[in-house]
Amino acid sequence: MDDDGGNGPGSGGQPAIRVRELRKTFRVAEREAGLRASVRSLIKRAHRDVDAVAGVSFDVAPGEVVGFLGANGAGKTTTLKMLSGLLHPSSGEIAVLGHTPARREREFLRRITLVMGNRNQLQWDIPALDSFEMNRAVYRIPEAEFRRNRDELVELLEIGDLVRKPVRNLSLGERMKAETAAALLHRPQVLFLDEPTIGLDVTAQKRIRAFLAEYNRRTGASILLTSHYMADVQALCNRVVVIDAGQVLYDGGLRALTTRFSAHQTITVGLPEGGADLSGYGEVLESTPDGRTSLRVPKTQAGAVAARLLADHQVSDLTIEDPPIEDVIEQVFADRSAVGAR
Amino acid sequence: MAAPSRAPRDAQALRLVATFLRMGVQTELQYRANVVFSVLQSVVAVATSLAVLGLVFSHTDALGGWSGEELLVVMGVYVLMGGVIRSVIQPNMQQLMEDVQQGTLDFVLTKPADGQLLVSARRFELWQAIDVVLGAVLVAVAVVRLDRPVSVIEVLGFLTALVLGAVTIYSFWLLLTIGAFWIVRVDSLVELFDGMYQAGRWPVSVYPGWLRIGFTFLVPLAFAITVPAEALTGRASGWLLLGAAAFTVALSVLTRVLWRVGLRHYSGASA
Repeated sequence: MDDDGGNGPGSGGQPAIRVRELRKTFRVAEREAGLRASVRSLIKRAHRDVDAVAGVSFDVAPGEVVGFLGANGAGKTTTLKMLSGLLHPSSGEIAVLGHTPARREREFLRRITLVMGNRNQLQWDIPALDSFEMNRAVYRIPEAEFRRNRDELVELLEIGDLVRKPVRNLSLGERMKAETAAALLHRPQVLFLDEPTIGLDVTAQKRIRAFLAEYNRRTGASILLTSHYMADVQALCNRVVVIDAGQVLYDGGLRALTTRFSAHQTITVGLPEGGADLSGYGEVLESTPDGRTSLRVPKTQAGAVAARLLADHQVSDLTIEDPPIEDVIEQVFADRSAVGAR
Repeated sequence: MAAPSRAPRDAQALRLVATFLRMGVQTELQYRANVVFSVLQSVVAVATSLAVLGLVFSHTDALGGWSGEELLVVMGVYVLMGGVIRSVIQPNMQQLMEDVQQGTLDFVLTKPADGQLLVSARRFELWQAIDVVLGAVLVAVAVVRLDRPVSVIEVLGFLTALVLGAVTIYSFWLLLTIGAFWIVRVDSLVELFDGMYQAGRWPVSVYPGWLRIGFTFLVPLAFAITVPAEALTGRASGWLLLGAAAFTVALSVLTRVLWRVGLRHYSGASA
């Protein structure tokens, strides 16, 4: 299924999404706490310009699934809102399927969709099927096509019984599946997904993930996805764009991210005689009674440390590994926020 | 697809409204218990008003130049228009305020349809429309009891004035709600408007001059209630109706313009 055909930015043709030097500056009122400051701010408002997005550029190829990562407040949602035409950029260029989003042309809006995991668009009191019907009218989907798309989505998401119940009676996971179906009835070619699996249990997350991969495979739609769950990103994206403080920190393959940002590797060594103290070789992460020890060592020294271990001890086995992607990302943000607290 | 010409676009808008209306009715049919409550509420409200009217006319024959039957027309229009407000205008505007507060307006604005149309036609509270029927009955009863015949022209003028009045009230409401783009909490406006609307049960001519002007142009109760009643009771000239039409158009255009300005503000284009 995943033959890398349409994936990777170099697959030729026009990109589905093209972003150049995108900026968004918000003007926020600023005042200190306290009554006196409140009164003073009534008379003279102090403003401060905040760069939510400060010069972001990237492309997404047709059919590509890109993970858009960043800590809270890094500028992810602001960027997604500009891409879907909700916010006007302060400067810079965006082209989505050849359209300028901020113009909000109907032809453009018919070809995209926006899903926000923490907000719902389905009407609370009526069954999802009725909300689907409303979307059919709004998107002017021909009846036959609507039925076909709806039935396909209902089947893929396994929500056949749920769509007849009022939405308020659904669990969070069930509701999110129905939300996803509603957002895709018009077969959009570009999907902006902001935390589509937030708050869901593991099973529901997996279901949505598998569905998105299948949707991407069937329709060749491009997907730009933000998520706090690295499992989402690992399952769906070959490429990630990491932003921080409104700027692109990294754009490339998921694997390469590890190589680039992790300064450490983990050496796991098995010693048959056991019991040796290996703290002189690196930071001991774990030591098991059967003589296996995990060491965290700087990447540049990993080879040398391994060689020393092999020379100094009777070693039964030894592996050198990159840390899990989750830890790497966490590390990236931890380091950045420590450096750039402003 | 080429840009659709005006006519198909309007047809589309009508289809959209029809679908929303159908969904609204379907939703309301799930809450059949509400019908009893709504009917009861309407009947009590109308009975109270009738009692007050009866009390007033036990002391006098006319109020500000209006006879008892004529004031019954005013009350009928008041009840009818109240039904329109509570079944369509108010629910949609409240939903819009909520959407602005919760950020769910984003979903409306990413839809390929006119935003103003979407936010104005999404909700329909069927049972509140009982007042529309009740108001129409009151008007009919009053017309039968009037001591002069009502001409076809007057009925047509009345219906025209009703539609203009409804559009005026809608525009006024939307104007208030658009304030939500700047000031996020405008909930209290609902109560404020409700309070002012109460004044519409009497023709605006019974109020002192400054209030009359306020109820005509600031809170357009005159155009919504008094003018239709005047049309039916032979008080309205063609010029008055023309004036009402001009006012309605002007207010609609102003609303449309401010809606766009509001959206620009919402999307940060004005910053």
